[in-house]
Amino acid sequence: MLYRTSGQFKTSYVADMALFPVRQDAVLLAIILAFAWVILPLTASEFAFQTLLIPILIYSLAAMGLNILTGYAGQLSLGTAAFMGVGAYACYKLVTIMPWMNPVVAILLSGVFSAGVGVMFGIPSLRIKGFYLAIATLAAQFFLVWLFEKWGWLYNYNASGAIQVPNLEMFGVTVAGPTASSHVQYYVVLAIVSLMTMLCINLTRGTLGRTWKATRDMDIAAELIGINLMKSKLTAFAISSYIVGVAGALFVFMWRGAAEPNLFDIPLSFRILFIAIIGGLGSVLGNYLGAILIVGLPVILNTLPETFGLPISSATVEHLNVMIVGALIVFFLIIEPHGLARLWALIREKLVIWPFPH
Amino acid sequence: MKLWKQLAAATALTVIAGGAMAEGLYAPNMAYRTGPFAALGIPLMNGQADYMTMLNERDGGVGGVKVDFEECETGYSTEKGVECYEKTKGNAIVTQPWSTGITLQVLPKTNVDEIPILAPGYGFSPMSEGGTFQWAYNPPASYWDGAYMILSHIAGGDMASLKGKKIAFLHLDHPFGKEPLPLLEQLAAEHGFELVAIPVGLKEMQNQSAQWLQIRRERPDNVIMWGWGAMNSAAIQEAVKTKYPMEQFYGVWWAGHDPDLAAVGDKGKGYKSISWSMPQPDSALMADIKKYVIDTGKTQTTEDQLNSVFYQRGLVMSMMLAEAIKVAQEHTGSAEIGPKDLRWGLENLNITDEKLAELGMAGMVPAFSTACNNHTGHSGAWILEWDGAKFNQASDLLQADQSVIEPLAKAKAAEYADANAPWPVTTCGG
Repeated sequence: MLYRTSGQFKTSYVADMALFPVRQDAVLLAIILAFAWVILPLTASEFAFQTLLIPILIYSLAAMGLNILTGYAGQLSLGTAAFMGVGAYACYKLVTIMPWMNPVVAILLSGVFSAGVGVMFGIPSLRIKGFYLAIATLAAQFFLVWLFEKWGWLYNYNASGAIQVPNLEMFGVTVAGPTASSHVQYYVVLAIVSLMTMLCINLTRGTLGRTWKATRDMDIAAELIGINLMKSKLTAFAISSYIVGVAGALFVFMWRGAAEPNLFDIPLSFRILFIAIIGGLGSVLGNYLGAILIVGLPVILNTLPETFGLPISSATVEHLNVMIVGALIVFFLIIEPHGLARLWALIREKLVIWPFPH
Repeated sequence: MKLWKQLAAATALTVIAGGAMAEGLYAPNMAYRTGPFAALGIPLMNGQADYMTMLNERDGGVGGVKVDFEECETGYSTEKGVECYEKTKGNAIVTQPWSTGITLQVLPKTNVDEIPILAPGYGFSPMSEGGTFQWAYNPPASYWDGAYMILSHIAGGDMASLKGKKIAFLHLDHPFGKEPLPLLEQLAAEHGFELVAIPVGLKEMQNQSAQWLQIRRERPDNVIMWGWGAMNSAAIQEAVKTKYPMEQFYGVWWAGHDPDLAAVGDKGKGYKSISWSMPQPDSALMADIKKYVIDTGKTQTTEDQLNSVFYQRGLVMSMMLAEAIKVAQEHTGSAEIGPKDLRWGLENLNITDEKLAELGMAGMVPAFSTACNNHTGHSGAWILEWDGAKFNQASDLLQADQSVIEPLAKAKAAEYADANAPWPVTTCGG
């Protein structure tokens, strides 16, 4: 009923290829964007900003970067956290060497470094595939984290070995550092994430996206129809690492405020991989759904006993939390092995033909 | 139907009770009873919680107001820690971050939110510079104090005798483990001993064969260990395996966990750990803890933890907080204090031997006092030695030479303030 498409005629090719061929999709997105840009910032508390809104956006972006590589181009990577680290450290060096630089520019630039490193570690993908490639990216993971620890120049030879975000201003407003307000940080993150999402949607719909999908589905066939595999794989590595690097810079500069090398260790890589897998490989929407489930849900579950006044000790809550989230992941993957994005697609399909299923 | 009514009544009751509890002094603790470091966390958290429960039961709280000592579970994860900080900062009078990662992250925010950090025996050593770190307190001793005292014990009080010695510094490759390095390097250059820094990566914590091979090859005169969690027990077992003489093996206060040593028993005899707390099983405080907390079952503590170093250290930590609250209450003349008042209390803490005796804690912690330019207190510490079954006090009270540490702390504090400009700095005594 809500999603009835009857009466929406497409009279031209352009209309058929529009980003939202169904009007309701556009309306739904407009509502979500209105929430994200206006309603949530007006109503959310400091706690919600710091533990829900900002991290969910940043994790979604990181998962989106990984999804380009793994979901669209079919190259399994276990080095996401390390590439995030490259972005974060690059951004740190940029703003400490050139303090006059606009922080947003620095964040967007730091992705370039991460893209370079990504391409370097992507070269083995030309020869190896599947699990073997995963191991090659695992090497990137271990090597880069080791480098973050040992290369003192990267963290300006701090005694603690950690990087700390200084106060950064943009047009007279503090956007990063301890004195920055959550509202400002949220808007910066939201703007960058929205921009990147738009970029991703359009990239994956265009020639490049189709090339990636062909490479993913069968690389020999792709080569036979004239796709340059080297170009296809390396662009996937570059663009994926760029997005991941920007997410890493946001992660430290707009949210954490400080980072030690082992933050970018393999658990973070796995976390982002889980977001991408549970959300749905090869989709953009899935990254958001996955991040909400993996990042947001535990935080909400943690606050529940207190809101209802249940006398459960915090350690027990933590144990319960792990169990509930784990069970939910299993549940969703059994219902729909292709992830939450596919689940939404099915629901939407059912809504379109409701109340007359085939 | 009846069941639902009961449930509803129970919920309503707990909501009311919860509401009433929140009226006390809200002192959250970022506990880690889960995760990789839970084995160390549990006795410490139990000690902290039990002391506050005992005060609430025996005296009706501090100054007549109950202390709402609530735990927020972090599992030692920085992410969860920040979540806890954001969740609790609204009503909290103090924040107890409990991990170097969380401290690093919370430290700049406390300047803005104006909540004091209480980090007993951990965190940055330069936090003693109260002019720079106005909201951070790390009584009763800093890591630099600890490193200095271990060296002075090795040297038998005369640092010059270290000349020509070789000392290995086995540390966790992490901000916490690297903390004493600047001081140790400076002392090595000054007194002419060779310092061999041996890092243990977070991932290699439980497999230190490479590090101990290096120790066997280098044959250092002493090994100083800056370890945490699983690293300590692994190191002690490796030391036993490689037959490194235990008498020459020293650990920081977090490397003196009874179960780690109990695992090797007699073979660990002679292992030493510096400590600013000392279990006193026969103290009046322990009798009260037993009477009001353990026997009434208002605790998660098990009997075998009671006399361990870590449990009783937890008691000492809460004592410092409770005393600071008292000082603040006297200063403001009101029992209901806020975070700003507590900051004053922490800055004017004066724990004398008489006060300790009055609290029934004689000998559990050395006397110390804090001030604006001394947020640490520099209490000094004892060397504890493992005798095969338990830790015993093996030295008189050691003191770190502040004329060496203070300039370094000042320099590092200034460096920190510069790197994080604009950082609010005040001068003390002005």
